[in-house]
Amino acid sequence: MKKILLGAALLGVSVSASAVSPGGDGCGWGNLVFEGKSGLPVHLLATTVNGTSGNKTFGMTSGTNGCDTSGALTYDGKSLLAMNGMLEEVAQDMAVGHGEALTALSVSMGIEPGDRAYFDQVMHQHFADVFPSQDVDAGQVMTHIDSVMQQDARLKVYTS
Amino acid sequence: MRFFLLFVLCLAGLGLSAPGPARAATAPAGSASTLADAATIARLADAPRWQALLHYNPGATLRGVGESYVDDKDFFLAPDGASDAAHELAASIQALAAPDSAARCRYPARYKFIAKHLGWDTRDALAHCTAYQDWRSRMPIGRLVMVFPAAYLNSPSSMFGHTLLRLDASAEPESAYLSRAINFAAQSTTADGSVLYAWRGLAGGYPGRFSVNSYVETIHRYGFIENRDIWEYPLNLDHDELDWLVRHLWELRGVNFDYYFFDENCSFRLLELIHTARPAADLLSGQRIAELPVHTIRTLKRAGLVSGRDYRPSKIHALQHRADRLDANQRRLAQRLVNHTELLDTPAFQRLSPADRHRVAQVAYQALRVKGRKNTRRDETARDSLALLRAVQANPAPDVPPVEPPAPPEDGHGTHLVSLAGGRLDGAAYGEFGFRMTYHDVLDRPQGFPTGAGIEGFDLAVRAYDNGEIKLERLGLVNIRSIVPRGTFFKPVSWFVDGGLEQTPVRDTRQLGLYLHGGPGVSWRVGDVMPYVFAAGRVETVATQEPTVATGVGANAGALWITPHVQWGLSVEQLYFAQHFDRKQARVSANVPVSRNNAIRAQCNYEAWRSSGRTGCQVAFRHYF
Repeated sequence: MKKILLGAALLGVSVSASAVSPGGDGCGWGNLVFEGKSGLPVHLLATTVNGTSGNKTFGMTSGTNGCDTSGALTYDGKSLLAMNGMLEEVAQDMAVGHGEALTALSVSMGIEPGDRAYFDQVMHQHFADVFPSQDVDAGQVMTHIDSVMQQDARLKVYTS
Repeated sequence: MRFFLLFVLCLAGLGLSAPGPARAATAPAGSASTLADAATIARLADAPRWQALLHYNPGATLRGVGESYVDDKDFFLAPDGASDAAHELAASIQALAAPDSAARCRYPARYKFIAKHLGWDTRDALAHCTAYQDWRSRMPIGRLVMVFPAAYLNSPSSMFGHTLLRLDASAEPESAYLSRAINFAAQSTTADGSVLYAWRGLAGGYPGRFSVNSYVETIHRYGFIENRDIWEYPLNLDHDELDWLVRHLWELRGVNFDYYFFDENCSFRLLELIHTARPAADLLSGQRIAELPVHTIRTLKRAGLVSGRDYRPSKIHALQHRADRLDANQRRLAQRLVNHTELLDTPAFQRLSPADRHRVAQVAYQALRVKGRKNTRRDETARDSLALLRAVQANPAPDVPPVEPPAPPEDGHGTHLVSLAGGRLDGAAYGEFGFRMTYHDVLDRPQGFPTGAGIEGFDLAVRAYDNGEIKLERLGLVNIRSIVPRGTFFKPVSWFVDGGLEQTPVRDTRQLGLYLHGGPGVSWRVGDVMPYVFAAGRVETVATQEPTVATGVGANAGALWITPHVQWGLSVEQLYFAQHFDRKQARVSANVPVSRNNAIRAQCNYEAWRSSGRTGCQVAFRHYF
């Protein structure tokens, strides 16, 4: 697997998108909230010599499975949520009522600056609707967020 | 063989990812000599920007001064482009002249340079470069930030650290999570064993490459998984300078550089990249035996590029910060909640005020998540996580103030050390000269370094005794010490490893011996004091000792008392050797920094082979640079 990843990294483009999630191990719609250890190696020597074991792209991957790591201008809420670790952070921020991950989500969903605090507040109130169980995945959470917004007069305009 | 294959792969990659090799560019509009005269070419080839775009070594490192660092012939258009900037310029002018030239799409920064100086018409010059335009439209270009993830807990070697760059969409980005990270790293395979991996990293066996990915991955990796604080330094490059940098970054896509851990590493390469944006800045002079991330930050500050500093605490620090604000009972409750969320429904939790319920549940949640990230996903952990988050959500509370940043790494002492000491050993007076290549020991001035973490490489001490004898006292190769206190939520294992040559007590003499010494241990925190105990093992060989190799085990106990103004250390050690002798050592030290880069250190030492011991004391002046 590592070798395939490395090969993909060296090729520089997502030529093997079917074989590997472009965003890396564990990235994709099926990502569950409260994920455990990811595929990233935490390695003393690796850290010492600043190496990498592949899984590096040149920002060229595009999201076939919702895992777009290509950057600010093409993020949408979906691709951000599907990234490793994001779901958990969004869950925490929603429970607390605000946070960097939740802001990133609202920015990437195109919510205007004036509506972001309101979005945070609505998401906080509907935490149980968005995260009804510990086994929701990124795709389900996105659907839940969407339906909460559908039912809100002010946020409805942002849904598709 | 694997390596060869990878190399082939990457060549293939160039063919696929770039719109055809530049040398196959169609129909040059004329030879370089008709486009620019020889004098102009010679003058422009010496321009700092052109030299920077070709990555010529201006004398910053020892290998190949006046030649390019790029180790990839496909990067050059002239056969001798890696060593002749004028030939490369002439070839570039020729290749880039035609309006529909494919080379323009491969070299947008070179094009900008040449068009600017030769007065070419730049309207729609790159309009046909769809891959570049597509990539470029996704690159935020509002601000560049130098990012330095500090050492991670219990791994002093990570103090050497890593650096990367971040591109933000604007000077005040709405969310750094949406920014892009620019990394330079060795491209290795994890299939190589650790030792081979380290060796190749040090000696240059791996190619290094730039990569661009999402900054949120950086935060997750360093801040959450490795638990490293992240320091972020916004730079004051303007839009045009960033345009140079981003164009050039595209030129470096898939291009191989040599990677050497000591000098031509990520930090150095990033400086080089910034140099293409502002060639007038003094970034690459007076280099550079061991380029460390902290040097990079200092260099950027000195050159006037740094416009601010942000601190992003690791998950563990954020948790500690919140836990410190709870009282002892609440902390105990939070600790029990981590694995027993059913306690949420008991009076012990319910009788707290809503704000306290929020805080206790949040601490428990964060502790559970820090632990959860070390293992694969478990159903119980996920269930408990959600139960705690529900308690957080149901009980609103005002937010705690942010974590107070510690002293930043660039304010720490210099990384090299020279010292002069005077002392006595068993009645004999001596003077001692010391030099330490790198980096920090646990008693050095603590500001900018993690407490309890030390790493020393190449630590030399030579003594001249009053009878005229000159002796090598010590040549430490590597000495790493990680003393991490156990707390309410985490029970880390401390450890140390130390190896090299040192004067070793043998019978009633001291003799130079080769040794390796180390072991695991535990440590606690009591106010500013950190007591610790290690189980220690030692292998040594001393020429005159029989048998030649001796192995011993024992224990090492002591304490550190680290305050901003004085750092105290106390340690005792007893080792029993299989060769029927034992050895004791006891030491007390005090380090007094008199300025950022100067300190006085006093130390008394008792060492004994069986019962024949000797005592010595010394006072040293230590200068860091």
